[in-house]
Amino acid sequence: MRGLVREWRLHVLSVCSLIVAFACLGAALLAVVNLGALQQRWAHAGRASVYLKDNANERDVQALHDALLLVPHIVGVRYVSSTEARTEFGQREVEMHGDLAGLPVDAFPASLEIDVAQDLSDAELGDIVHKMRELPSVDDVETYRSWTDRLAKLLSGGVVAAVVLTVVVLGAVLAVVGSTMRLALQRRRIEVEVLKFVGATDAFVRKPFVLEGTVEGAAGALGAVILLASLFFLIRGRVEPEVAGLVGMAPSFLPWPVACGLIAFGAVLGALAALLSVRQLGSP
Amino acid sequence: MPPMEPPERFRPMLRAGGSRFSRDAAARPILVFEGVHKSYGHGLPVLRGMDLVIERGEFVFVTGPSGAGKSTLLRLLYRAELVDDGRILFLGRDVARLRDDAVPFLRRNLGIVFQDFKLVTSWTVYENIAIVLEVIGLPQRLVRTRVAEVLERVGLAGRGEDRAGVLSGGEQQRVAIARAIVGEPALILADEPTGNLDPQLAVDILGLFGEIHETGATVLFATHDRTLLDVRPRRVVVLDGGRAMDVPEGVADEYDNRLPL
Repeated sequence: MRGLVREWRLHVLSVCSLIVAFACLGAALLAVVNLGALQQRWAHAGRASVYLKDNANERDVQALHDALLLVPHIVGVRYVSSTEARTEFGQREVEMHGDLAGLPVDAFPASLEIDVAQDLSDAELGDIVHKMRELPSVDDVETYRSWTDRLAKLLSGGVVAAVVLTVVVLGAVLAVVGSTMRLALQRRRIEVEVLKFVGATDAFVRKPFVLEGTVEGAAGALGAVILLASLFFLIRGRVEPEVAGLVGMAPSFLPWPVACGLIAFGAVLGALAALLSVRQLGSP
Repeated sequence: MPPMEPPERFRPMLRAGGSRFSRDAAARPILVFEGVHKSYGHGLPVLRGMDLVIERGEFVFVTGPSGAGKSTLLRLLYRAELVDDGRILFLGRDVARLRDDAVPFLRRNLGIVFQDFKLVTSWTVYENIAIVLEVIGLPQRLVRTRVAEVLERVGLAGRGEDRAGVLSGGEQQRVAIARAIVGEPALILADEPTGNLDPQLAVDILGLFGEIHETGATVLFATHDRTLLDVRPRRVVVLDGGRAMDVPEGVADEYDNRLPL
């Protein structure tokens, strides 16, 4: 660790570069984690909205309500009249200062809000929806699948971005740590020469450099996690109510295993980069 | 180029057959050069079929004019160079045939002192010496004890915490000598160790080598400084024309005017 302490300026510069690289990767992982949670949330939302036709009479609606309660996996049915729907929407719009608060009641159809069991498969829900659409008093059924499909596509895109960024970070770490180690090796060539004259094996000579690379990589990743966390919690306080209202859940930071995994990844990359850089020590 | 020997580590041949210590093996010369040839890119050979035998416990001056091959001879011994032909037997093992990964273990049996000291000036005196023992994995408690002992032997007791870069030339060479002997090597090689020192210091350093030799160490001292050869009668080997001319006591007259004062 003598070299790490004596050349701390060199290593601090390298760590700063690595923080930037790992922050990009961390941001992509953050997006993937939240998109994944959102997809999970909506995929198992356990909701469906059965929109009723304007001419559906009260008796038909009650019969449909009772029939749905008897369907397996449907745990609750709630009737929402046009007026109630308009009222709920208007209250939200007023709170959010939306421009749609002045829409008339006619724009909001009555509906039956259905709660389905979590273990209901997509195929079974699709079958129920298909049968309900054939009922005379039903205008349309919304299962919010399109939202989850869009989220799944976003998530796939996020995963691809994360993979690409991982490759970029790999290259960045190899380049930065590799250059730092080669520079350190050059500046400490007398030390290396002496070590070889007194009988140190190549592994003994390489060990401090590999250790320094490991510390650099881990420090870069840790710095990125701290930077991301600081920005995340700073921004979250300002946007959390809006985001939660929009998508139904609050954003969350990287889980502990992911954050620790990122730091471990940084350490391993740093060690690898250092090992590759000093593998040819030559002989005096 | 001679073929490489399989063993991974350099193991001195102190045992001749079986696992019992052999007195015959221990009585063999510590160093033997047999028909050693070495030339560099320009084609002119530096060493031409050189033969030389060094017995255990000897103090041998290796001298000759510039370019005679004194440093080359030592570099071949600690495998900084490879022979073109011939054998160099150190403790019974042919150095030239060692694999590259066995060279560190060869060097742990040697103590090398250079003209330019080769100290890490940013390290302390202690660190420069202790590294020899840390490389072989001795515990720190033992390292501290041994380093203190050798510092006292070379006249630098209590200077362990000084940075090597602030020492004088003579003091730095003493640190280099301490580093060379702390591991209690079988053979000490000195490649012009007084070349960068003034004459009085050179004599002092030679005296230090003499004290080390009196403890039983074998010393191979390469120098072109004629005056050192006269300080005390020692065996002298003169390198001339790529060959070694053994002059058991002092320098022969025929070589007297070819060596600088």
